[in-house]
Amino acid sequence: MISTRHILDSEAFHALVRNRVVIILVATLVLGATLVPGFLDFRTASLGLDRMATLGLLAIGLTVVLIAGQLDLSGGAILALSGIATIGLQESLGQIPAALVGLGVGIAAGAVNGFLVVVLRINSLVATLASMLFFRALCHLITESRPVSGIDPLFGLVVSRPIAGTFTGRTLLFFALIILLHLWLTRSVAGRQLFAVGSNPASAEASGIRSRAYLFGAFVFSGTMAGVAGVIQSLSVNTGSPVFGESIVLVAIAAVVIGGTRLEGGRGSALGTLGGLLTIAALTTAMEYQSVPAYLQDIVTGVILLLLILLDRTVSSSQRREVTLAALWRRARSSRSSRKNERTPAP
Amino acid sequence: MNALASPPTRTVERGLFSTYGARLGLPAGIVATMLVGSLLSDRFLTLQNLTNVLINMSIVGIIVVGMTFVFVTRGLADLSVPATVAVGGLLVLGLQPSIGTVPAALVGVLAAGIAGAVNGWLVGYAGLNPVITTLASGTIVLGIAQVFVGGVIVYGSDPEAQAFLTGRVFGVVPVIVLIFLAIVSAGHLVLSRTVIGRWSYAVGSNPFATEASAVPVRRVRAFAFLLTGTLAGVSGVLLGVTLQTARPGIGMGYEFDAITAVVVGGVSLLGGSGTVLYAFGGLLFVQLLTNIMVLQGVATEPQGIVKGALIAGAVAIDIALRKRGGRE
Repeated sequence: MISTRHILDSEAFHALVRNRVVIILVATLVLGATLVPGFLDFRTASLGLDRMATLGLLAIGLTVVLIAGQLDLSGGAILALSGIATIGLQESLGQIPAALVGLGVGIAAGAVNGFLVVVLRINSLVATLASMLFFRALCHLITESRPVSGIDPLFGLVVSRPIAGTFTGRTLLFFALIILLHLWLTRSVAGRQLFAVGSNPASAEASGIRSRAYLFGAFVFSGTMAGVAGVIQSLSVNTGSPVFGESIVLVAIAAVVIGGTRLEGGRGSALGTLGGLLTIAALTTAMEYQSVPAYLQDIVTGVILLLLILLDRTVSSSQRREVTLAALWRRARSSRSSRKNERTPAP
Repeated sequence: MNALASPPTRTVERGLFSTYGARLGLPAGIVATMLVGSLLSDRFLTLQNLTNVLINMSIVGIIVVGMTFVFVTRGLADLSVPATVAVGGLLVLGLQPSIGTVPAALVGVLAAGIAGAVNGWLVGYAGLNPVITTLASGTIVLGIAQVFVGGVIVYGSDPEAQAFLTGRVFGVVPVIVLIFLAIVSAGHLVLSRTVIGRWSYAVGSNPFATEASAVPVRRVRAFAFLLTGTLAGVSGVLLGVTLQTARPGIGMGYEFDAITAVVVGGVSLLGGSGTVLYAFGGLLFVQLLTNIMVLQGVATEPQGIVKGALIAGAVAIDIALRKRGGRE
């Protein structure tokens, strides 16, 4: 009896599903370690993470946007635009001011998205699709569809060189930012309120949260992170190109969703995103070492993503069923006991 | 208006504007674009150029019909279109030498249709978010298609089929344009005159009430994705045969082009409103604008500035008009 109820409540099962990203990550790492010699070496890990850093920065911004219940498709285009500013303005402004302008481009682009979604009330999917086309076209217009080169290739080493023999600059920056995001989401009032806005903007507004300010802020944050990613990406290769980041947003969304953040808003975590990114990094590294063709890698990533959202869906509907089952159980027990009560006075 | 009803004229006028403003805006826009185009370039208002515009819009236009259904049923958008287009294109050219063009075309459309059916099942029956689902399924479908052809470019071997599609009926209208116009007409009739069309509007405007009225909501939503997948497959087949070459990335951008046309055509992303004809009008408007830019010597990539502004502007005006009108 007790064991049946245990399964019905199934705290452990839920914990398992909640932390599924850890399980998937461990499974991927074990698989990688058995298939690829030296997979768990520090050097391999460091290299794999370094390649994931740009994607990770974008995913940090997307985590916030998705928790707020919105979508941002424009990250890749913003990344390219800020990269072009960072490299293209080096000659006239100097390297550090140009990088700051690149960052500013990201912030401004995020504000444009926020304006479209919050002030003009355009659905975020359509709004960021429009701004994506716009920013990408702007990149091509400015550069005449040609990549631009920086003045000093050594300057970019700051971000791509391992610091103190550990990780590269950009990897460390990514780690720092995702930990900060985790603390902000879990420990601060504003972080909690972001979740409230994501699950229901109207009722959040009714309970005194300025929903629209949070939505606007989420887009500015996402734009800023795309800007940071753009600055770092362009500095590391000393090039700004209008085709940078063309398919990066979809992978970033996949990483965030693998980490358990819901597209419907109101749910998600920074550590989940970290797990999702590590999973994708490990998968990519393992498959590339095995020289699996790119299209097979795509199939694997797509299948994992699809299975996870299906799992999310079945768990959220079985939660509902579980409640009813538990209620049924209680009802059955109470009816049995009431029958007993009925029977006892009968003879 | 008339003299007797002078006091409420203001409100009547405003009501009229918001009712017809949204409806007449697009035709007016198309006429204005044609005027501007003919003023800017002598070549614009020629039969040759306008036929080119029609040919250019045929491929994406077929997808627009399906995407309209997805929008109307509140299915957000189908982002797997590039994959299903590629499936159609890769399969028709890949299988052409062994089984002939027509059977290969059928296989291509069928495969894309199956992908659409899977999308429909996942979104309609399993209740998954359409954006992330079609994103994931698109990746998978494209991957599988590439496995079949080995991830390389496929070349066609049937110039006769190509000649047939680009050949002109009565010396004016290319066959491919006729196919496109037939699909648009059929799509318009299905959405406006049939039960499934009416159900689509009902599902899009209020899924819960519709479900309570015993309409098969899941099936209707699944149908929209099945239709989009199939039509994208048709598009891919036509594209492959006309170009006689197909690579895996052949369908890239078509999803956004289709969404742009549908949105500019005033079909709401929130579902329940819009028609195939207006989506067609939206596509025509965008294509005419693109054509003018091309004639003016604007390169392809920077045209996105106009397209992006157009999408945002069209939706913002639509929302503003609705707010003022208080109804659709």
